[in-house]
Amino acid sequence: MSVAGGQLPLETPVRRHLSAPLVANWWVPLAVVLVVALAPWVEGGRGLLGMGGWDKFWAQIAIVVGINLTLAMSLQLINGIAGQFSLGHAGFMAVGAYIGGYAVPTHGGKLGAEDEMVAWVHPGGVLLYVVALGVVTVATAGVVFGLYKLVGLLGRVHKRGPAVVFGVLLAWLVVDIVTKGKSAGSNPLGAIAALGWGSAAVTGSFDWIMLRGVGAAEWVSGVTPAGYRQPACLVVSLLGGGVMAAMAGLVVGLPTLRLRGDYLAIATLGVSELIRTTITNSGPLGRATGLSVPTYSVDAEAGVSAVYFFPWVYGVAILTILVVWRIQHSPKGRALQCLREDEIAAGAVGIDVTAHKVLAFVIGAGLAGMGGALFAHYIGYINPKQFDLTKSIELVVMVTLGGLGSVPGTIVATVLLSLFQPALQTANQWMPAWAPGWATSGAELLNKYRLVIYSLLLIVAILVRSRGWLSFGRGKKA
Amino acid sequence: MALLEIKNISMQFGGLKALSDFSFAIDQGELVGLIGPNGAGKSTAFNAVTGVYKPTKGQTELAGRRIDGLSTVQINHAGIARTFQNIRLFTQLTVLDNVLIGFNQSGTHGLLGAIVRSPKFAREREKFKGEAMALLKTLKLDQFAAWQASSLPYGDQRRLEIARALATGPKILCLDEPAAGMNPQEKIELTGLIRFIRDRFGVGIWLIEHDMKLVMALCERITVLDHGETIAVGTAEQVQGDPKVIEAYLGEPEK
Repeated sequence: MSVAGGQLPLETPVRRHLSAPLVANWWVPLAVVLVVALAPWVEGGRGLLGMGGWDKFWAQIAIVVGINLTLAMSLQLINGIAGQFSLGHAGFMAVGAYIGGYAVPTHGGKLGAEDEMVAWVHPGGVLLYVVALGVVTVATAGVVFGLYKLVGLLGRVHKRGPAVVFGVLLAWLVVDIVTKGKSAGSNPLGAIAALGWGSAAVTGSFDWIMLRGVGAAEWVSGVTPAGYRQPACLVVSLLGGGVMAAMAGLVVGLPTLRLRGDYLAIATLGVSELIRTTITNSGPLGRATGLSVPTYSVDAEAGVSAVYFFPWVYGVAILTILVVWRIQHSPKGRALQCLREDEIAAGAVGIDVTAHKVLAFVIGAGLAGMGGALFAHYIGYINPKQFDLTKSIELVVMVTLGGLGSVPGTIVATVLLSLFQPALQTANQWMPAWAPGWATSGAELLNKYRLVIYSLLLIVAILVRSRGWLSFGRGKKA
Repeated sequence: MALLEIKNISMQFGGLKALSDFSFAIDQGELVGLIGPNGAGKSTAFNAVTGVYKPTKGQTELAGRRIDGLSTVQINHAGIARTFQNIRLFTQLTVLDNVLIGFNQSGTHGLLGAIVRSPKFAREREKFKGEAMALLKTLKLDQFAAWQASSLPYGDQRRLEIARALATGPKILCLDEPAAGMNPQEKIELTGLIRFIRDRFGVGIWLIEHDMKLVMALCERITVLDHGETIAVGTAEQVQGDPKVIEAYLGEPEK
């Protein structure tokens, strides 16, 4: 009203474009599904995408870009849109990678031995394993949560009820460790009876499901047409990795989301290290040595497995972008943005702060888990070192440079940063003959100081453009 | 029985009793004020009722249902909305989005509906957008709908914060020093606005204010707090003449 006329042309074309949904109809999701479904029919995936001339190197880079898109976009939901600074994204990625990477080789090859791609022929087996794991995890979490609630209810009966229960438990543990711990050897925890019963119940019920489900699993694999068994294995592996990572997000989210800012960052970092350390100490998962994962390829000899994997990677990437964009532009997404801006005000207008934070973590973690499973099946060998803090920070850099809350910006930043390193490293190969000598040596120099440049970019980005370099019309400071 | 009944609530922070035996009632369509010098416990009373603090003693009832001890979110859903002394808008969002937030909890399309853009999602989006625009129009903010909230002039930011609170569909609206930082002209406009909202939406309005002129002009009943104690209750005239009140304000009836 104080502005002359009271009318400012804020409905600019760019603004209108940004606030419109990415696609208002079903075409893009449908196209993604079609590409993925038709991929096995098109020889090697090459004909469909017209990439016959691509050499292996660039196809591999394209895959890495696609996987990074999925990971960075899922982090954008947590860090950018909901404003919950997480440093633990690599942990969720690790969950997805290890679930998929373990289930496929161990349970995906029991149907018919005549097929040479032994690991990819039994989707039912992988499905059974993932379902059993999920059911047992949910049941365990349910029992633990139920006990926790039960102890809480005791507090209503008597004020000191919970304290007494915990006291008794503690006394039991101490007595147990003292009496049996010595004879059990060097690991006193191994002697704790409650833990022993618990793990016996968990492994017991897991084995029970696995045993009962064999018939159903073989039936599922049997009805799957032979040409679709490999893709079906991959889909189950991706979804399984995603769902388990989402559960990890839930387990992490509930207790840590009362924290804000730096404290949340430290807590998420701690959790991702916890996941990493657990893997490092788990025998079946290969400890620090790592785990060999069957790659997704039809003709490994020809060296075009990367091209064949292409539609899957980009299918998941586009799905992730679509999900994150559409959540952002929905009432739920608006609520997440309110959390980022002012939690107290968000509570006062009826936004359930904790529930929305958990929602962002669960979905972000689930999508990262799918990215992790893709990574495992592409790279063929995973070890805990690949999922350390460096990876989380790499993703945070992509999201921050792209702009907190900017989906298009994250896409551009992720593609550029993912291309940066391989492009500079191989400058002498692709630089045309007419280019001057200093161009190649300059690229080598840039590559040498790559990490310094990243850091400088990040500092400048945070100081000057906290909403990102590419955040058209949204860079205005509050 | 009144719509909102506050019965003998007390708020103790360690050794400090910020509020003692505070009782209060607001009915639908009423305009009541809470005044007192700095540190009298006005904001504490507000926070204890809206769920920021849990009262250490006493109870609050909204339409016969106990609401003390609930969270801010639950209390908002029960029907009490508030504004803040220092404006807390979602500054990076547009004016329209700020109001749409208030309609958030009445949507039923769910997350999956939003991801696949179900027909229900589209229907509800249009419906809420229409309602939000209607609300903005009522409060004369509709021409700013596409503006970023932080770019509004100060008085309109206040107005928008009130609009956002109204969008949650409250029965009681709590305004925490709405005239703070306003010039006399803006205060006159605000007086009209508050009265208009009461008449138009039929909500009970509970007002905390430092500006005596505004409170005296608006409120049908006034409660005066000092050091956490209720020292006077009554109409503007009664309160103004009360020696205790004059004493609390150090002999300055008009600050």
